[in-house]
Amino acid sequence: MWKEIEKRESGRVRPRSFANRVKSSRVASLQLSNHKDIVSPHKGSVNSLQVDLTEGRYLLSGASDASAAVYDVQQPQKLEGGGLIAKHKPIFVIDKQHEHRHKYAISSAIWYPIDTGLFVTGSYDHYIKVWDTNSTQAVMNFKMPGKVYSTSMSSLATSHMLIAAGTEDVQVRLCDIASGAFAHTLSGHRDGVMTVQWSNSSEYVLVTGGCDGAIRFWDIRRAGCFRVLDQSHSQLGRRPPLLERSAMTKVFVSCVVTCICILGSTSRSSSGGQNMSKATAVSRKSSHGNGAKHSGSNRISAKGSIKHRLHPGMLSSQDRATAHYGAVTGLKISEDGMYLFSAGSDSRLRLWDIESGCNTLVNFETVRLQTNKPIQLSVSEDSALVFVPCMTVVKAFDFWSGKTYFTFRGHYEYVNCCCYSALDQELYTGGNDRQILVWSPFISYEADEGTTRNEDSWSD
Amino acid sequence: MEEEEGRVRQLIEKATNTTASEVDPRLLKAIKSVVRYSDSELRIAAQTLMSLMKRNHSQVRYMSLLIIDELFMRSKLFRTLIVENLDQLLSFSMGFRKNMPLPAPPAVASRLHSKAIEFLEKWNASFGVHYRQLRLGFDYCKNNLRLQFPDIQGSAARIQQERREREIRTQEILHKKFETLKESFPLIKEEIQATVNEIGECLDIVSTKEEPVPLVPLDDEDGDEFRSREILQLRLASLKEAEKVHEDVDNKVLFDALRELYRLLVTRHLVSVQEWITVVVRVDVTDNRLRDSTLKELINIQNQIQLVKRKCEELVSALPTTAKHDLEEEEDIWEEGKIEPSDNGSLTTLRNQYENPSVPSTRGLKSMTAGCSIGESGGSKASNESDGETNTSRTKLLLEAPVMRWGPYLNNWGSNSGVLANQRGLDLESHWGRVDYDAVIPAEKIAEFNVQATVYKEEQVNIKPCHAPLSRGGLCQRRDLKVCPFHGPIIPRDGAGHPLDQNVSADGRTCGAETHVVKELAKQAVKNVRTRDREEIEKRINDKQSLKRAKLAKVREHNESVLREAALSSTSRSAAIAEDIDSTGTDKPSSRNKKETLAAMLRKKVTTKDRLSQRLLNARATDATVRQLRSDEGSCYREAFPNQW
Repeated sequence: MWKEIEKRESGRVRPRSFANRVKSSRVASLQLSNHKDIVSPHKGSVNSLQVDLTEGRYLLSGASDASAAVYDVQQPQKLEGGGLIAKHKPIFVIDKQHEHRHKYAISSAIWYPIDTGLFVTGSYDHYIKVWDTNSTQAVMNFKMPGKVYSTSMSSLATSHMLIAAGTEDVQVRLCDIASGAFAHTLSGHRDGVMTVQWSNSSEYVLVTGGCDGAIRFWDIRRAGCFRVLDQSHSQLGRRPPLLERSAMTKVFVSCVVTCICILGSTSRSSSGGQNMSKATAVSRKSSHGNGAKHSGSNRISAKGSIKHRLHPGMLSSQDRATAHYGAVTGLKISEDGMYLFSAGSDSRLRLWDIESGCNTLVNFETVRLQTNKPIQLSVSEDSALVFVPCMTVVKAFDFWSGKTYFTFRGHYEYVNCCCYSALDQELYTGGNDRQILVWSPFISYEADEGTTRNEDSWSD
Repeated sequence: MEEEEGRVRQLIEKATNTTASEVDPRLLKAIKSVVRYSDSELRIAAQTLMSLMKRNHSQVRYMSLLIIDELFMRSKLFRTLIVENLDQLLSFSMGFRKNMPLPAPPAVASRLHSKAIEFLEKWNASFGVHYRQLRLGFDYCKNNLRLQFPDIQGSAARIQQERREREIRTQEILHKKFETLKESFPLIKEEIQATVNEIGECLDIVSTKEEPVPLVPLDDEDGDEFRSREILQLRLASLKEAEKVHEDVDNKVLFDALRELYRLLVTRHLVSVQEWITVVVRVDVTDNRLRDSTLKELINIQNQIQLVKRKCEELVSALPTTAKHDLEEEEDIWEEGKIEPSDNGSLTTLRNQYENPSVPSTRGLKSMTAGCSIGESGGSKASNESDGETNTSRTKLLLEAPVMRWGPYLNNWGSNSGVLANQRGLDLESHWGRVDYDAVIPAEKIAEFNVQATVYKEEQVNIKPCHAPLSRGGLCQRRDLKVCPFHGPIIPRDGAGHPLDQNVSADGRTCGAETHVVKELAKQAVKNVRTRDREEIEKRINDKQSLKRAKLAKVREHNESVLREAALSSTSRSAAIAEDIDSTGTDKPSSRNKKETLAAMLRKKVTTKDRLSQRLLNARATDATVRQLRSDEGSCYREAFPNQW
């Protein structure tokens, strides 16, 4: 450790790689933290966990008893057991006593990606609510056509403030916080939508996984999905083979880039980020109205016949492709936005190359997954490990080899969600046993004198 | 090295492979001592125990849980190992997962469950701070499963608290009492002193008034002439009486006053003084000196009162006894020693002294009474060992005596006189009829009447079981007369089922010479001869009752010896097991036996209820019942409405 620091001082090791090394070594020693203890106020299973994206300090949890709570994971409220146990109590709880409460279980709770002033909860009572964190009041209310399974907000969006919601209904809806109305209705799934995820590379790309086993990619600027992942369409290795398909993808990428450029210029022209509604209105217009069709036709004419196949109106055979033989219960896009990790109710885990849309055929060691509930996956920041709730345990898989690295055994019932905090290299997991467990790098804390010592005591 | 490694595993498997409700402490100790000095053994132990917890038998799980607890409370490494799989351990020991209920013997399963809960609480209380998993498990069981924890520590603390409060309260009360005592102490002292003085004066007057009776020394050693107990007692009583002053007309007033004072002293003062003593002893004051001085004074007063009281009782006979009784009940323990001897002690010692010279005579009397009672002959034989020669003759006579059934003829057993007869016949029961002294039935006739008819009764032959050792343990319980179809001729065997050759020869003492000769013959012939011998013996026994009795005694003796041997052998087997522990050798047959018992625990016991239900609830029986009921109903209906069909 000290040698490493010395090297870093002398400049032989780059600061970044040094940090990465330390981080990975910390991740490698993750275990159930005896020191950090989150006091869960929930009386039902914990369905959703998220650490805020700005400070990495506040953990938001949503549970089946229609309660949501926020914890400060850095600053404990109370020390117990001679300073050995730090109790992190909820800063506030929204439960059934609250005036704007949810009626049924909260299935997902996410932070507003820009700051911690807002958070969003989606519930089985068909509502998505947007809450003001400081006043703990609901400031917005979206009525959905069915139970909300999953919500998502794009962390890199600058031009829109859309909540993507996957519900019982076949349509994915995008709720606009700025206007308080549904901006889009994306239809294409043949069954309810279990998970939704915004792309980490493009603010307009949305990935959804449905109960019909399909994973669909949507560009919100135009109608229909532009890609359906097919499990039989596979490649070996991280990169697609350099065939004529590469040229095709290149064309697609360039198309997207041009699109972004156009939109970026329009939004920039309209006085910055404050006037979001205008920007979204523009995007809506471009994706819905005649303009979209027009531009599409433009592109077809400009880029030739290859473009034609990639248009939302895809080949019907492609449209029926499935990614899993059951419902897609979990989706996670890697930090760099290049790969997609999916979990299905067929107890399979698949890694997809987003660029080519191919199954990379990474064989993740056999696991059993919960089938009837969306599960929340998590990926470590350098995309080395993926954390998957497998029944009562959480497993950490190597991203590229699919080997099980760790098995986090601590919950007594099924685990629903896990959330990796890149700042502290900590993992938070929540399960049906109402507990939120903290898994942190191993540090031995010594108890003060006076408490019972943890030592051998052989009497005979 | 290899066998060293597996040692703890063997030990644990042996320890868990019993039906007992506790782990054998010696095995446990062995496990602990092995595990203590080597971490690898400890790891193996943890592995083995966890795999045993998965065994589909509650008893095995229970035993391993006990061992786990023992090690868990001692070793840190073991704790870390176990805690990693705590959820598994808990699910195996509590069976809270629906798809994994606790396995078969339900009684043991419930015990396992409760024990697991208890242990979890204990572990959490002592090590929960260091292990998040323990806290989690405890929380889960408490809040999610809503299991009832015994809460041992909490209840203990509560009890402690209650006791402390009670003590504080009693101390307060005692303080208050002590304060009042301090205030009123001189007054009370004076009062008591006055009473005591008055009594003393009264006694003085009484004793001077009466002429001192010349006292005969009580303990005269030359009282040899007083042999009889009654006379002795009389004399003692008279001596006692002579000491006392009797009430009469002259000193009636005095006596009355004395009685009054005595009662006051005993019922009021003595009791209160004793109370105060207890108060002073128990009170907890800062000023110890004052307390000690008070206590000393109180004890002095008490002794004084006791003294006066005794004097009163000695001198004055007619004191109210009821008061005395009350007093005796209320007195403290230490007081009893002082008072009781004054009444009884002297008398008993005296009596002992007087009785000592007359010991032989009384013993003669005792033996006479013992001889009289026929019924308890056996008992007297057992108890009275000192008078041996009479006893042996008596037993000889008893051996010869015929056993008669009880009847009215025993009333005039051995009488040669004739019996009067009335008009109804023999005058046996009623004497109300006319008595004709001539009508006498001569003795010979009566004897003829009383001739005992015996009905042949088959001898109750106690057919002994074969007792040959069986291959699956236990002894053959077949009862055959001579030859067991499976194990050959029946021969006496010891507790383990081995044939007893020397015993047979000892039994057949009458034909000892013969057997001795036969023994030298070929081994094949031995059995035949022995059986023949036994037949002979049996024949003779049938002939001679005395011999049979002797034989019975012998058999009893033999049985006892067999039992003793069995007990000895069982201990030796357990000792052998202990040796196995040390030598780590596996005792194959014993372990197999235990296995069977473990399996037997799993087997469901067939109760009478089960058998009945099997009989009654099978299809045929129910069908028959239904048919019967239907036909009954039909007949009823037809009877009720004969004109409708």
